Parts: sequence; structure tokens; C-alpha cells
Amino acid sequence: MIVRMSKIRILGPRDRLADVLQVLQDLGVLHLSSPRLEPPLLSLELTPSQQRLRRNLRRILSDLDTIDLTLRLPSPLLSEHEHPVLAQVARWARLAGRVRRMTAGLASRAAALEEEQALLLKYRQLFAGLEPLLTAQAAHRHGRAYHLVLRPEQQEGLRLLRQELAGFLGEAFELREHRLPGGEIAVFLLVPAAAAARTERLLAAGRVQDIPLPGPYRGRSLAEAIPDMAARLRAIPEELNQIRQDRERLTRAHAAELARARAGTSDYLRRLEALPFSSVSRRAFVLEGWLPATWRPRLARELATRVGDTVVVEEVEREEWKGDDTPVILSNPRLFRPFELVVRQLPLPRYGSLDPTPFVAVFFPMFFGLMLGDVGYGAVLAVLGLVLHARSKPGTALRSVAEIAGPCAAFTMIFGALYGELFGDLGRRWLGLRPLGFDREEAIVPFLGLAVALGLVHVLLGLSLGVASALRGGHPRAALGRGLTGLMIGLVVAALLASFEVLPRALLTPSVIALLVAFPILILAEGIVAPIELLSTIGNILSYARIMALGVASVMLAIVANRLAGALGSALVGAVFALLFHLVNFALGLFSPTIHALRLHYVEFFGKFYSPGGAQYRPLARWTPPLPPTSTS
Amino acid sequence: MEIGLLALSAAIAVGLPCLATGWAQSRIGAAAAASLAEKPELSTTAIIMLAIPETMAILGFVVGVLIILRGGA
Repeated sequence: MIVRMSKIRILGPRDRLADVLQVLQDLGVLHLSSPRLEPPLLSLELTPSQQRLRRNLRRILSDLDTIDLTLRLPSPLLSEHEHPVLAQVARWARLAGRVRRMTAGLASRAAALEEEQALLLKYRQLFAGLEPLLTAQAAHRHGRAYHLVLRPEQQEGLRLLRQELAGFLGEAFELREHRLPGGEIAVFLLVPAAAAARTERLLAAGRVQDIPLPGPYRGRSLAEAIPDMAARLRAIPEELNQIRQDRERLTRAHAAELARARAGTSDYLRRLEALPFSSVSRRAFVLEGWLPATWRPRLARELATRVGDTVVVEEVEREEWKGDDTPVILSNPRLFRPFELVVRQLPLPRYGSLDPTPFVAVFFPMFFGLMLGDVGYGAVLAVLGLVLHARSKPGTALRSVAEIAGPCAAFTMIFGALYGELFGDLGRRWLGLRPLGFDREEAIVPFLGLAVALGLVHVLLGLSLGVASALRGGHPRAALGRGLTGLMIGLVVAALLASFEVLPRALLTPSVIALLVAFPILILAEGIVAPIELLSTIGNILSYARIMALGVASVMLAIVANRLAGALGSALVGAVFALLFHLVNFALGLFSPTIHALRLHYVEFFGKFYSPGGAQYRPLARWTPPLPPTSTS
Repeated sequence: MEIGLLALSAAIAVGLPCLATGWAQSRIGAAAAASLAEKPELSTTAIIMLAIPETMAILGFVVGVLIILRGGA
């Protein structure tokens, strides 16, 4: 259901505007609308000093957001943060700036240390392999040393390198190799300084490169660098730990105050940004906005109590405002509320149109259960739903999903009992389970008939809601068109059933005559596109055959799992195989019916009456901690 | 012979719409992936759009089943 809204107008002396906004923010129910600009009223622009203040408040909030990433600020209770005065905001600005600089310094130091640690770890294995080769370098301080790593397939290249070096240096070089755990070959090469240029040309021709030392150690010999690098690697965790302790100290010292600052500054900024929503004359102000109709008396009372009787609240007549820019609040009984999540995936319904949540709450789990239809899978889904419920927070999308899983599991088990299925045909083979309704493995055509019949009911319901919605919106012609489409669908079905003698054959002629009469009226009401719309509606009904198709596919997969498992020699292998196959089928069974039940609602059902374009309800309110997407708002 | 023809007819009734569905989904999928890169909030719409051509495959499946059942195979 869409909550009934009232549009109100608040008038008062201009010098009380700030007080009024404060009361409105405390109540948190008024969604402000664009200012009314009729002479002598003018829009209220922010003064240069207010604009400067707005910039500063935004900067404080940006600092606090940055701090929050590092310190994880707590969320103060509403009663803990009062409306701050400007001096307090200035103190918060200084504190936020100081703590942001400190946290940024800590963060950049931590990032540099982690980067250094990662680099040293990368080199550690490599240099550990070269370490046994370094004694020769210590003995020949005037030689030029090269540290190389060759791929395993370059073993032959190493032999050729040795040969070439022996060719022009004789025995005046040292070449040692060491195989690394990964299969690469660490090579240490020492040549006289005079032969360095020729050696480098030789290495370049063989596409072998010297390993560069990490930045701070460049220019030093490997023998000197490796012990230093190991010592550094040992020291870094202690430094990181120190940074963590510094952060904790900062959190203990300032987090509570910064959390209050975030709430207070945010409230201040919101009130400042609400100012341009008012229109003013020299001495008076006017504010307009929407709120749930039931809140209007309380708002008037609060204003009278806290601001005085100089401020007047009046209701704007319904004829004066359009539904298009009215904010929409969905409010449904507890049982249906989780299904608002399904509706919220689309743009909100326009104010004055219909909220489809109650219909979704009935048909979505029903379609899901019809498709999955298995007592075993339903029980597993129920357990999953309970786990998800226990692990999710109230008001979150995850909690709504958990609550939707409940009815879906119930319908899955009900239809599972009707089909006589427990993990496919396992229930029949082991427990003697029998279908209470029909066996969908065999009765494919009756199942198809049931699916299409459900489609007929669902689409006709959609058309009926379309008629009601068009009448409420003051579009009688559209209502007539939708009504006639529904009637013609009914007549087509009656004629088909009569021709197949499911209904008395005597009904055939009257149905056809009624169709011939209704058809031109439909074209007159809806225009030349009406026949196409009619055909597309028939296509929509046939589309419900997917319930049968997915249902049959689901049961067939489960049966295949059981039979293949039985066909395997070992009982243990068979059980594991069956479990895996059922797991895959269950995952498919969750995904496919969800997508197709959603599609049947969004395309086939909503297309007949749903009128999107409702504005989001965003009242002027105090700061609250951000939540993941909610199903209720 | 007759059973073979029935099976072939059913296979064509399922196969051709499945090919068409696959082609349509490849186009929609590519466009949806590009849209989601810019607007992740369109994910529900993208999934629904992707499910729309499956109607062809499903109706093909229904026709295939009816061919098999009505043909007495």
C-alpha cells in the first residue's frame, strides 16, 4: 500500500525560519518541495558567508569520512548529539583536520612499510639461493659481479656462456650456479673489471639480465645487501605493530568526539541546505512539503509548542498539487513487507497508483514453489533462510531475502508433497512417497495446462488492477481498453475450451459473436495498436508455460542424479556423486525459478497496471548511520 | 522411421529457438555488461532483459514435448 500523503504549507516570521527547520529536522518527517515563488515571495539564496560555511561543513564531513576509513567511528545515539553552535563546529573542524592529517600520515607510513615488506619478501627466496655463491665476491673485491637468474630451459645457455667466457678470459673468471626450489638457476658470475663491457654484451646477446637490487640497496654489493635486507624484513612487523597501536590510541582519544562531530556537522549542513527550499518576503517565510497524512497534527503541535503560535501550518488542497512529484512511501503488513524488496528493484510506483507488493507476496513464492516443487529442496531452502535470518541485521536487504526464502520454502514443500517429490524420485523409491496431486514426471500436459491457467489468472488480475489504476488516475478510456482486453482474453479462452469440448460446445458460438462485437469497440477505445496489444497479452499468458518447463527440467535433473548415482559401482562414490549433482541442481533450482518468477512479475504482470516514476521520500531529518539497502524506509 | 521423424521434429522445435535465444542473449548480454560497468544499479533490469528471449526456448521446449507426446513416442 502507498501511504497517504499530505502537502502542507508552513508560514511564519522570517526570523523564526531557523527554529522551524530545527523542529522539522528533529521530527524527520517533512519532505521539502521546491519553493513557491509568487510575488511578493522570493527564493531564499544562501549568503556568501553561508556558502562559505557550507563549503567548510562539507570539508569537515569529507575529513571525517577519511578518518572513518581508518578509525571506524562509532554511531552515536540520536539523544547523544545535540544541535551544535557555530563555535563547536569550528572546534570540530580543527579536531577533524588534525586527526585526518595524523591518520593520513599513519596510513601512508603503513602503506610504504607494507610495500617494502612485499618487495623484500619477493626478493628473499631469490637471494637465499644466491647467498651460498657470494663467498667468491668477497675474495675478489676488484672484480665485477653479476647476479643472474635463468629459467630451467636455459641450462644449455649456461654451458655456452661458460664456453664463451673461457674463450676470451681463460680461467680469469668465476661462474657458480645454484638451483632454486622453483627450478630456476641462480648464477653468480665474477669477471675482471676490464672485461665487464664484453661480458655484458655477451649476456645481452643471450638475453640474460642482471637482477637489480631493490632501490635503497642499489649500488651496494649483494654480499653487503643481503644481511641488511634480512634485518629490515625482521624489523618491519614491529614498525607496523607500532602504527596499529598509534591508531588505537587515536581511536581511544578522539573517536567518540569525532562521531558526535559527524552527526552534528551533518545535521547543521542539512539545515543549511534546506534554507533554499523556503521562499521569503521581507518579513515572512513559506515552506512547503509532504509528510504522511497521519503526522500532520503532531507536526503542527510540535511547531506550536517549540516555536510558538506565530508559525502557522495549513494543508494544501489536493487539487493544488500533482501526484507526479509526490514522494512515495510503501507500507505493507509485516508478512508482505520483505517483498517490497522485489518491487524496489524497479522505479517506485507513482503516487496515486497501486503498490503491487501484496500480489507479489502471494504469487512470487507460489510460482517459485511450483517450479522447484520438492520437499527435500524446500527443507534445505528453509534451513538456508533461517541461517541467513540469524546472520542478517533487521532492515537490511539480506534480512528481506531471508524472509522471502521462508514462504518460498513453504510453497516448495507444499508443491513437493503434491508432486510426491523428495530429492527427485528418492522419496518414492526409499520412503514410498506418492503424489498427492499429480506426478509431473508423467503428467506433463496437465502441468502445462495448470501453468497456463495460472498465467491466465495472473494476467487477468493484472488487467483488472490496470482498470482500477486507470479509473483512479482519471483515465476512463484506458480503463475501458484494459477491461475490454481482459474480456476478450476471457472470450478467447472460453471459445477454445468450448471447441475442445472442455466447456459445453454450445458456448462456442456466443463466445465468437461476443468477440466480434468487442473487437471494434476495443479498436475504438485503444486505437489501431489494440490488436497487437491483445496478441501480446495472449503471448504473455503462454509465457507462463516456463513454470512447467523449468519444473520438468528440475525434476528430471534430480532423477538423473539419483539414477546415475545408483548406476555407479561403489556405494560411497555413488552417494558423493548424487550429493554433488543434487547440490548443482539445488543451486540451479534457486537461481532459475527466482529469475523467471521475477520476470513473470515484472514483464507479464506489472506491464498491465504498474505505473513507475514515484519520487523517493527524503525528509529533512537528523543524521543516522548509513545502512545497507533497506527493504523498509 | 516414424519415431525417428518425430524425434527429429521435436529436436528442431527445441533446437532452433534455442539457437535464436542464444544469439539474442549474446547481444543483450554484451550490451548489459557494458551498461553495468557504468551503472551497476541496472543489474536487476539486465537480468530480466537477459531472461526475456528465453521465452522462445521455453515455448520451443513445450512444442517439442507436445510433438513427442501427441505423436505417441
